[in-house]
Amino acid sequence: MSYSQLQHEQDDAVLLLTGQWNLSRIADIDAELGAAGLPASPITLDGTRLQALDTATALALLMRLAAAGATIAGLSGLNRSHERVIEAVRSRMDDGAPGLRRTGHRPLAALGAAAVKLGWKLHCHLEFLGRCVAALGELARHPGRLRWKELAAQLQHVCLEAIPVVALVTFLIGMVLAYLFGMQAEKYGASIFVVDAVAIGASREISPLLVAVIMAGRSGSAFTAQLGTMRLTEEIDALRTLGLSPMQVLVLPRVLASVVALPLLVFVGDVAALAGAMAISDPLLDISALTFIGRVDSQLAFRHVAVGLAKGAIFGAAIALIGCRAGMTVGRDARSIGSSTTSTVVQGIVWVILLDALFAVLLQELGI
Amino acid sequence: MSAAAAIEIDSVVTRFGAQKVHDSVSFRVPRGEIVAVIGGSGSGKSVLLREIIGLLRPAAGRISVLGTDVWRASEEELARLRRRFGMMFQDGALFSSLSVFDNVATPLIEQARVPAHLLAPLVRLRIALAGLPPEAAAKMPSELSGGMRKRAAVARALALEPELLFLDEPTSGLDPVTARAFDRLLRFLADELGLTIVVVTHDLDTLLGIVDRAVVLAGGTVIAEGTVQDVMRVDHPWLRSYFANHGT
Repeated sequence: MSYSQLQHEQDDAVLLLTGQWNLSRIADIDAELGAAGLPASPITLDGTRLQALDTATALALLMRLAAAGATIAGLSGLNRSHERVIEAVRSRMDDGAPGLRRTGHRPLAALGAAAVKLGWKLHCHLEFLGRCVAALGELARHPGRLRWKELAAQLQHVCLEAIPVVALVTFLIGMVLAYLFGMQAEKYGASIFVVDAVAIGASREISPLLVAVIMAGRSGSAFTAQLGTMRLTEEIDALRTLGLSPMQVLVLPRVLASVVALPLLVFVGDVAALAGAMAISDPLLDISALTFIGRVDSQLAFRHVAVGLAKGAIFGAAIALIGCRAGMTVGRDARSIGSSTTSTVVQGIVWVILLDALFAVLLQELGI
Repeated sequence: MSAAAAIEIDSVVTRFGAQKVHDSVSFRVPRGEIVAVIGGSGSGKSVLLREIIGLLRPAAGRISVLGTDVWRASEEELARLRRRFGMMFQDGALFSSLSVFDNVATPLIEQARVPAHLLAPLVRLRIALAGLPPEAAAKMPSELSGGMRKRAAVARALALEPELLFLDEPTSGLDPVTARAFDRLLRFLADELGLTIVVVTHDLDTLLGIVDRAVVLAGGTVIAEGTVQDVMRVDHPWLRSYFANHGT
């Protein structure tokens, strides 16, 4: 199929355009024009046999002419609408200046940018923490401003609805721990120490960590998505203009609910982990339920449980703050909510583990 | 160009539950004209538009666009038809995570076989045709004003060289100066590029300024159809109060 034909009449070059010039054929048309050997001289466009011409193919034609250095000497036989299309395109064509400058990949610059971004992120976290504490201080002076309904709703979501999954996961991990310790301890005839290990390990470390990871995935992400959507739909701006503080109305109830909920969930986790270990101790290690409970009673000091519960409260505060901050600062596009939610979960888990390591060192030094 | 109408709507009935939105709506849109669909809020203008472009199935009736029966066509025919018309949604419906350039490039990359070296100039041409400055290409939708967002949406709707352009309330939320500039853009597209344009609008100035024909929906049916002058002569309570605000 031929769309164009170059003819020479006396000294004048004539480009004969034929057929349907539309977007679906643009690749063929452009290739044909490229191969036509357009001269760098004035060319007359003859459109007597042109059936259709759209702006895309007109652009392809004009660009090929410009690239060859040819100019349009005149138009002949083009109908009025095709002439108008060519004119509309010609008057709006840019001179090929790149509209979008794409910078190349520069690793050092990327590293620097990432470092600056990390620093900025830490700064923003601190600022948000400060604002939150200030809002908490204000709440202490005017306790009536606490949103009890919102707090209760958040408690239901963060605490009550999380109990089944927390119980299941910690029960199974308790079983796995008892099984692993038991296999080793049995070799030395020290099976009974499995109870000590599971009781202390679960209440001090495993249960708070697992609960925090579950909470980061369940509630931290939900906080970000909820507040982020509210920001996109300008609900947060609306709150501000109504004289309400988003901190008081949205953030504090979530943070307080998390601080209250996590120790409770950690306790659920402690019990479930012990139950899991107890369930497997009887058949595997010949430690009866009564012996197990007695051993726990005598060996599990209250401070271990207290440390776990306290860690839970701090983890809860960290995750809620991260989630709410990410939600309040989400960008104004659809993808941003997704990436902020992901970032909440990742940051939540990383911060929990960082804090946990800090606690381990600190409590070791303090001898607790 | 054939003399057949670009759009033929024949006794369309639409129901949402017990509520009847359209009760036998029929009209034709001739090629190459700007046709306005007007009517009060809740008269089902936007619903009708969604039915024409194949997003919402009417309870009964026939809708034919560019010779294809929208609700009897196969999925393949419908896909081919969709490449022949463009739609501008009320708030633009630009892809919020893509720049204006990428928004306009998306249909070209997905639906057309455009040589790589022509893609960027073609996108820039679309952006220029919609009356946006070249530097708008790099911006994100959230960085644009309402009027620019609508123009960017037009640029995207124009991407695949449509024969037919649908616009849902193109001038709502724009100041009068920007709105009139938008009207001139529509007139330019119809006159210079030969597009058929269907515009759902409330804007009396659009109606009196650039529209060739108007279709008036009220009470679930077409109460008037014809040139704007014809429509203004029709005696109907809704039309009387609609035109009463204008000094004629």
